Amino acid sequence: MSSLLQYFVNGLVFSSIIVLGSVGLSIVYSIADFANFAHGDTLTIGAYGALVALPTLSGIGGELLGLPLGFYGALLVGMALAAAVAVATELVIYRPLDTDAIGMLITSIGVAFVYRAVLQAGFGADFRSYGIERSGPIPGIESALGVTITERSVVMVVCALVLVVGLHALLQYTTLGRKMRAMSDNPELARVSGIRTDRVLLATWVVGAALAGAGGVFLGLSSSIDPRTGFDLLLVIFAAVILGGIGSVYGAMAGGFAIGMVHEFTPGLTEVGIPIGTDYATAVAFVIMVIILLVRPSGIAGREPT
Amino acid sequence: MVRENLSRRTVLKGIGAAGMVSVAGCTGGESGATIGMANSETGSLSTFGQRNARGLEIALSDINETGVLGGDLEVIVEDTQSDSGAGVSAAQKLVNQDSVPLVVGAVSSGVSLAIYKSVIQGTDVTQISQNSTSPALTNFPDLLRMSPTGAAQASALADIIDEDGHGKVAVTHLTNAYGEGVAEAFKNSYGGESKLFAHDQGKSSYSNVITSMADYDADAWLFVSYQPEFTTMAQEAFDAGHTDIPIYGSDSVKGPKVLEQSPSEITEGMTLVAPSAALDQENYKQFAKAFRENNDTEPTAWSAYAYDAVVTAAIAIEAAGSTEPADIKAEARGVTGPDGTEVFSFAEAVEALGDDGSASDVNYQGVSGPIDLDKNGDPRAFEQIFQVQDGKYVSQGFIAGE
Repeated sequence: MSSLLQYFVNGLVFSSIIVLGSVGLSIVYSIADFANFAHGDTLTIGAYGALVALPTLSGIGGELLGLPLGFYGALLVGMALAAAVAVATELVIYRPLDTDAIGMLITSIGVAFVYRAVLQAGFGADFRSYGIERSGPIPGIESALGVTITERSVVMVVCALVLVVGLHALLQYTTLGRKMRAMSDNPELARVSGIRTDRVLLATWVVGAALAGAGGVFLGLSSSIDPRTGFDLLLVIFAAVILGGIGSVYGAMAGGFAIGMVHEFTPGLTEVGIPIGTDYATAVAFVIMVIILLVRPSGIAGREPT
Repeated sequence: MVRENLSRRTVLKGIGAAGMVSVAGCTGGESGATIGMANSETGSLSTFGQRNARGLEIALSDINETGVLGGDLEVIVEDTQSDSGAGVSAAQKLVNQDSVPLVVGAVSSGVSLAIYKSVIQGTDVTQISQNSTSPALTNFPDLLRMSPTGAAQASALADIIDEDGHGKVAVTHLTNAYGEGVAEAFKNSYGGESKLFAHDQGKSSYSNVITSMADYDADAWLFVSYQPEFTTMAQEAFDAGHTDIPIYGSDSVKGPKVLEQSPSEITEGMTLVAPSAALDQENYKQFAKAFRENNDTEPTAWSAYAYDAVVTAAIAIEAAGSTEPADIKAEARGVTGPDGTEVFSFAEAVEALGDDGSASDVNYQGVSGPIDLDKNGDPRAFEQIFQVQDGKYVSQGFIAGE
């Protein structure tokens, strides 16, 4: 029983990274209208942004939820850097490029290589950690529930929740959110009705990339990062987006949560007599994705094709 | 009409002759030689790859002081990204496009095997792996390697864990040729109870592995992994509060970055077995000195293997007296011994070979040890035991292979 609860906690932590990645990918897909393969490396940019900012910001005293305040500053720097790079890429590369969705997809793969190469040239191919001292499991929870959870895991889950709720509020209750939804539904109609689609598109990149950047920073917080970190996670993020129904932000949240959970619950399969090792966790997640898509071809929250 | 025919023939002959000259130019025979190297410049094994690059630099400067076949040895280096797919492309480029007679490669056992099976096997090209230690490579006699088989390491680990009094071991290993090879070899030579927990390379979370290992309730944990993967697992093991389980590791989880970035509560007291260079030999001391001058760190056994792989290649070319792949292949194994005059450097080897010497005339004693490649292409094993004490790897002695 306690191990099941432990898998759930692990899943919650891992999901929070996947959700941040998949929500960003999905919102860009629904508004910019192409599958952005550079999204994984946008995560990595966020992670390295925080890595660079941490030494300067660590001077700030004080703690919040067991982590130095400087970390939260570094988180913002990482998100801002990811957003800035994504906007610059949109303005310099994607916007002038007059091509279809497939052309854009291939271009974004090229952009991903450029991002990674720049990071590798600047920081080397080695793995790195943020160097924030780890505190181990929270004793109270360990003795009460028999599960181990660290303060940094709590921070990750809480921050992810705040960001996702924030995105929900942005989409539902602000003018920008309404414009985004209008554009995602019907870009031509949005343009004729007077929405400045160019600006909405830039805002979309900012939101999507900043969320990805946050996911990257959490990756760095939970373990270590190297220039390939984000790219290695991209396939799982895509699975989450497709499972949720491509283009649907709420679907991506559900999909990211489901994929992260399945990934961490894989050892439980052996306990109930299905001998599948943890090395197949990603494969199991993909099998679940296929099964759900067979039952519901448009994904969890996808719109039925009209 | 006849005239025109004749002139066309002349032209064709001319083209043929020109073609032969250009082909002759490609395969050498003139002076100098070009070989290829497939190295992990990026990816999980990049720390090995970077040190290999330093080893290569020193090897080249030592070799080209004397010169190969009266010219310079050139090495074309391609990145394998520590990945089989990229590794095979790198080797294909080297063999098919650059037409090198010999490829030094690769670091990862899985990549070495992939290169051997899809590019090298069935050709006359020689492959010397610089750093692969999977027992699986023993099954491919023509795939030579400078680093000893992990089977030796696995049995050493089994003995140590047994001596330390642990009867139940959770082993987590990578799902590649190296990880599976060493883990299986451990399971076979270990007397107590053990269970294998596989994990994939390059994942951002291994907490599912750590949780299931904790459920197994073992006396000790053994990690057969790479440095970034081990670091992530050490961090997660600490986060999950598993600080009182004694841990052991294979050579590939050993590195200064690992100790820097892993919680010391996990790594302190960790015992590892790693292949060792010939630390007392004069040529190793010189290699180490050159290594420290170019960089400010100590060399590793791995960089010594890379150095020896390049020097062995150069001696083989010199013994063959040509850059014909088949000629080089015939000499490569023999130049490492055990027959012939013991030589400790490339210059000594050239002297011992004289004008028409062959493999049986030289016995290269590498900076990494005696080498003496056997019929399976494996060198003689020489392993060192380390324990982490006060955040440093402290030597606990050596184990020599048969």
